[in-house]
Amino acid sequence: MSTDNRVVVEFDQHGTEYRDRYPEISHELRGKCPVTWSENHGGYWVVTDLEVAGELLRHPDLLSATKDITGTGNGYQGIQIPNSSPQVTAGFLEMDPPEQLDFRRVLNPYMSPSAIERWEPLVRDFTRACITDVIESGSADFVDDVANIVPAVLTMAMLGLPLADWEIYCEPAHAGIYTKPDSPDLPRVQEQTMRMVMQLAGCIAQARAHPRPGIIKALIDADINGAPLRDDGILGTVFLVIGGGFDTTTALTANAINWLSQHPAERKRLRTEPELLGTATEEFLRYFSPSQGDARTVTQDCEIAGYTFAERDRILLSFGMTNRDPAIFDEPDELRLDRFPNRHSAFGLGNHRCIGSNIARMQFKAIMSECLARIPDFAVGGDGVERYESIGVINGYKHLPITFPPGQPDGEGLAATLVRWQADLDAEAAVAPLINDQEQASR
Amino acid sequence: MKVSIDADRCQGHTLCAMAAPEVFGLRDEDGHAYVLVAEVDGALLAAAQRGASTCPEQAIRITPD
Repeated sequence: MSTDNRVVVEFDQHGTEYRDRYPEISHELRGKCPVTWSENHGGYWVVTDLEVAGELLRHPDLLSATKDITGTGNGYQGIQIPNSSPQVTAGFLEMDPPEQLDFRRVLNPYMSPSAIERWEPLVRDFTRACITDVIESGSADFVDDVANIVPAVLTMAMLGLPLADWEIYCEPAHAGIYTKPDSPDLPRVQEQTMRMVMQLAGCIAQARAHPRPGIIKALIDADINGAPLRDDGILGTVFLVIGGGFDTTTALTANAINWLSQHPAERKRLRTEPELLGTATEEFLRYFSPSQGDARTVTQDCEIAGYTFAERDRILLSFGMTNRDPAIFDEPDELRLDRFPNRHSAFGLGNHRCIGSNIARMQFKAIMSECLARIPDFAVGGDGVERYESIGVINGYKHLPITFPPGQPDGEGLAATLVRWQADLDAEAAVAPLINDQEQASR
Repeated sequence: MKVSIDADRCQGHTLCAMAAPEVFGLRDEDGHAYVLVAEVDGALLAAAQRGASTCPEQAIRITPD
């Protein structure tokens, strides 16, 4: 740390005050300085200005994402402040180039706009199935009954894991995100996370013996100039895909459902003008910023964007707050379904831009349009509405009770839909190895 | 006017192609953008400007020929 005229603020992105009024806090901080300093969690810079965040993230050589979990390396603490999961890395999200890019190149073919089109029918069918299970009752917990399930099942499918296993990972994946760093429950949640990691290690071992098409197989098979990917990097990456795949889209859809419930005229507009869904999706992303921000560690004394940093300084790039930057967004605290342009940073910026962004968009649009068609008159309400304790990592809901006029089920419920899709994917998997072998044979 | 994308800056946000599919395409392998029409004027220039205005990385340049 350098001694300088840094602007010190009282700030904690895990605090209740941040959760309840982060847009206002973003304006307060930005009004003092685009880069402020918080003494909490060992001390860190907080960036609230979009242009400064963009400039910082164009220097992955000066700002490292790495986490040293063995304590034998650089000692850096990864992308969370504080580092509340010191025993496990978030895969390539906690690596720097060039190794980070090796992992991304393996996953990119599964994540591009053209690659994810094939999964839209699955997302629509599982959303339908989830609604079928609750539609006669006229009430549901949108999080437990829809938003937690659909993204989790899709993630299982993409990884090549059994679809029904979504339930094993659901609670640990969400609790690992929303538990406050100072919570008395943290040790239990950390232990649960470690059990999940061990379970995933077992799945990867199983996949080596009995490969199935999907991301895990691609990671195992990867050939980086003749060498395989690191084992712990593969494990961390599968853990990351589950964390990123489960919790973020859940948070986005829950926030959107809650907002639309409070703005029935806008909900009607979205239903009757479906062409709005494109800009609306970007605006929900900007306004709610499901992933609120990531941290970096400064690798050497340096000056970037006019700010001086010292080696080992920690920097929080707050995408939740840069998305409220009035220099970029006209009336940033207004949600406008047709906002354009909308150069938001909800997926981050720079070399760690969310690799699942296209999946998130496709899923959000599919889930929302199914909900708007099947239960258009939903209303959020009751005492059961519960936001995450901390939104420092993900701005999400634990529970979001909704009511709606009861309707008739349409087709099979969740249990039967899981069985049917599993059978279809198994049939595909039985053919896929033959195709791969033929491809290899013809080389 | 000439449209170009700084490949070092583009990170595959895909917003340009959503805003102006007539000017920007997306590579199958990673979703990063490329220019479909490099020389633009009139409506295509307006489309290119729409795409550039929405890029989170500010990776799109529109310059005189």
